Amino acid sequence: MAKFDYVLAKTLEDAVHLLNEPNIRSIPLAGGTDIYVAIRVNPIWFDRLVDIRRIPELSQITQEGDVVSLGAAVTFSHAIANPILQKVAPFLVEACSTIGGPAVRNCGTFGGNVSNAAACADSLPALVCLEAVAHLRSPKGKRQLKVEDLVTGPHETKIESGELLTHFTFKVPPEKARSCFIKIGRREAQSISRLSIAVIGAVDSTGMVDYIRVCPGAAVATPVRFPHVEAVLLGKKPDEEIITAAAEQLVVDMIVSTGRRWSTEYKEITLKAIAERSLTKIFLEDGQHVN
Amino acid sequence: MLINFNLNHKPVSVDAPADITLLALLRDRFKLTGTKEACEVGECGACSVLLDGELVNSCLVAAPSVMGRNVVTIEGIHAEDGGPNDLQRNFIEKGAVQCGFCIPGMVLAGEALLSIKSDPSRLEIREALAGNLCRCTGYMQIVDAIETTAKARAEKHHPEKRED
Repeated sequence: MAKFDYVLAKTLEDAVHLLNEPNIRSIPLAGGTDIYVAIRVNPIWFDRLVDIRRIPELSQITQEGDVVSLGAAVTFSHAIANPILQKVAPFLVEACSTIGGPAVRNCGTFGGNVSNAAACADSLPALVCLEAVAHLRSPKGKRQLKVEDLVTGPHETKIESGELLTHFTFKVPPEKARSCFIKIGRREAQSISRLSIAVIGAVDSTGMVDYIRVCPGAAVATPVRFPHVEAVLLGKKPDEEIITAAAEQLVVDMIVSTGRRWSTEYKEITLKAIAERSLTKIFLEDGQHVN
Repeated sequence: MLINFNLNHKPVSVDAPADITLLALLRDRFKLTGTKEACEVGECGACSVLLDGELVNSCLVAAPSVMGRNVVTIEGIHAEDGGPNDLQRNFIEKGAVQCGFCIPGMVLAGEALLSIKSDPSRLEIREALAGNLCRCTGYMQIVDAIETTAKARAEKHHPEKRED
């Protein structure tokens, strides 16, 4: 006998209904790249997979005015090739291109990456920098949560059972902003992040930083912005000295958050280096232009 | 449950449990053992197949999710006479095959790349193979085979402009 059942949801309403049928524990299935790995090592925690991959609106990337909408079932391959994301969020595209290999990117989705909420999830730091909002739907209605608030710990989110993550929205970053994503893995491709960082920033007409978002990945329990680090940079001329000060602040804040752990000796050096490298890239070199 | 889909360009219908992967469906139900079972967690690429033309790890695909879609396995890649096609011949000629276990996945990764990019650089070929592991060859001969095939196909389709 099959250990679990499968059903294909044809519409969003259909999916929400199927996820909430009584007496059957249902979870959404999109790319399967996390679920099929998890069920090989964990006891099966659901009775049925509700396949949401063929619901058209979940696979759309659109821009209306200055708001971009990104469907939860958009694959990383789709995102990498998408002109809207290439233009307004090049560091998100860069992050997607570091995930797995082509076969994993052809299946893996943003909704899956965020709801699985691995500490090393590569789409999360850029989504947090973009202040992306997750849109959830359930029979009780719709609600919205910032991605930064949605993820509460490694593999833990505020998504409730029966609730479907449908899409993300974010505002187009300011003109002239530049962004950068750096990932440290054990090899160039098909690797899990040991540490990563997403940064996006801009300077005003006098050359002072007037916009900055910094979010490291796999550094602390959840992907969050580091306001003290951003404060070091805001209103300053982003020269080497200020960039180093910001990178050092980031390391201090990481240790405040995690305490000194077995990996800290490695992470404090590496995080400082990728923070300096990414901030140098956007402020002093040729970081990826937004817009 | 009943799953209807196109397998190697022919419509098929199979009754299978809902909880199996596409890999298990191909190997156990259709006896298409060219698709290899190895890591089963999407790390090695030995189980690569084309799903609607895109490379996927069949060990991570729910069997029922291929309903109505097109699946191509290594058994579906061949010349018109049923022998090896140009890419497969180049794998042999360039010495890209040693133990052979990874080769079905490598050939499908190559075909997936060539279907969207007719003139890939060596770096692009290597990126396209990033999810397919080979313990024998060191990859260079595999890259050579795909590069040679790309050039030959481009010449065949566009004999007037070689660089395209």
